[in-house]
Amino acid sequence: MVEHFDVVCPFCGCLCDDLEITVEGGEITGVKNACAISRSKFMNHGQNRLGLAVDGKEASLEGAIEEAAAVLAGAKRPLVYGLSSTDCGAIGRAVELAEVLGGVVDNTSSVCHGPTILALQQVGESKTTLGEVKNRADLVVFWGSNPTEAHMRHLIRYSAMPKGMYVPEGRKGRHIVAVDVRETRMARAADEFIKVDQGGDFELLLALRAAVRGVKLKAESVSGVPAESIAGLAGRMKAAKVGIVFFGLGLTQSEGRHMNIDAAVGLVEELNHHTKFLLSPMRGHFNVAGANSVTTWQTGYPYAVDFARGYPRYNPGEYTSVDLLAKGEADAAIIIASDPAATFPAEAVRHLAKIPVVTLDQKLTPTTMLSRVTIPIATAGVEAEGTAYRMDGVPLRLKKVLEPEEGLLPDEEVLEAIIGRVKTIKGEVE
Amino acid sequence: MNEELLMPKIDVTIISGRTAEQGAGLEEGKTSERYAKSTSLIELSPADAEALGIDEGGKVKVTTPHGAVVVYSRRSEGLDEGLAFLPYGPWANQVFGAATYGTGMPLYKGVEAEVEVCDEDVPSLGDLIDGFRGDP
Repeated sequence: MVEHFDVVCPFCGCLCDDLEITVEGGEITGVKNACAISRSKFMNHGQNRLGLAVDGKEASLEGAIEEAAAVLAGAKRPLVYGLSSTDCGAIGRAVELAEVLGGVVDNTSSVCHGPTILALQQVGESKTTLGEVKNRADLVVFWGSNPTEAHMRHLIRYSAMPKGMYVPEGRKGRHIVAVDVRETRMARAADEFIKVDQGGDFELLLALRAAVRGVKLKAESVSGVPAESIAGLAGRMKAAKVGIVFFGLGLTQSEGRHMNIDAAVGLVEELNHHTKFLLSPMRGHFNVAGANSVTTWQTGYPYAVDFARGYPRYNPGEYTSVDLLAKGEADAAIIIASDPAATFPAEAVRHLAKIPVVTLDQKLTPTTMLSRVTIPIATAGVEAEGTAYRMDGVPLRLKKVLEPEEGLLPDEEVLEAIIGRVKTIKGEVE
Repeated sequence: MNEELLMPKIDVTIISGRTAEQGAGLEEGKTSERYAKSTSLIELSPADAEALGIDEGGKVKVTTPHGAVVVYSRRSEGLDEGLAFLPYGPWANQVFGAATYGTGMPLYKGVEAEVEVCDEDVPSLGDLIDGFRGDP
């Protein structure tokens, strides 16, 4: 029996780094400190595993890599997509592959916090680490975010329960506010729940900003929220020692998208005239922040990067995956650690089903079912080491707690092999 | 009289999102029963479920300008009348559109939909995959 301590969880952007994993006889038999989703990931990691195949027939790794390289090298507009549930080394290789192919590299942030990035590029960000939140924040607002379902230990480890240096009472020393369109479990766990009309966040954020500035609202309510509640929250925000807004896809996936985030940044900027106030996106996949970081340091841009002209160009809305597929532009794709067939609107998936797709994944998914080439990999953070970036930008080292099945390689090594073959096909000298 | 004309129908705004059960299900595997169970459903407000006159788990068809899908229904006290919730997944994605209006992001929250009681079968994951492939 081997016990692994301080294991980093490779599920969500919290990257909880206090897991204890027990391995007996090559199997994970125990998981401590994990949330329900993390437990499911570790305990079920061997179930529904993907097979190595080309055109639905069993293949050798060499054969699959050869076919993958041929499909991609022969394409005019290949798409490299996914990357948020693998390690930074693999992400770097994926960017390199897109460059060698003259294709597009995009990651899952285009359908989660892409609009957040668009807004922050325009107006900036008042950011911090989760450690600072734990030690200092006495007012925590969750806006369009439901950590009780999506980031299950966020409240316990960072934002609500822990006793911090300047918040010695822990939960009692913090006022927690939930702003949402429905009464979620988060709303019930908060000290205050503000129910906003669906699609009304932008107006409410502007009204709050005005109230912080001292404007008396003439309207009786804004987006379904009474003026006195808005004035009350504005007063509470100004009186906080350190406040933070954690926001989720309630803002990025609703009407207004990046403009909702722009308004949230404006509110936080206004509050900084009165006290210390911060904001932070609740990043979903465990290394989506890393996908943005690596792509940025290699190309200058965080996602939606096109190498068709030999140098990187950036244009969300044009080089983002849903657009490339829905417009029928991409003529081949390689999907790494992601499942667009389950996460994209059907209209985009129908095009994915028409083009040759290469998928690197650990498990069977709707995307692997639509793929010409499937290559199973050693799961990052379970069967392979690597680096991942927490939602606040702190890099942590993923551990290998289990030997992968014989022949399984990490994403990075499979991508390296594909790059090598593509270069040969394209007649370049390595 | 055509029985279909008598099927109760309501208009709602639909939003999609993560649930813990969907997250745990996908980590078991997208082909697992747990994943299908946790994603082939719509949560309705008690008032809307009442208006449709359906029991917990009753089948409904959700239709938007982008598509239609049959799913199981579940009551959720946290929803106001007129707002309905679908967990992320291939069932929900039948009814959300791909237009991103220059942002890269489809509108996954805030789409007008019609919900009606229905006795068709809820599609399996395999049915949805066949649907993506379309006619050979």
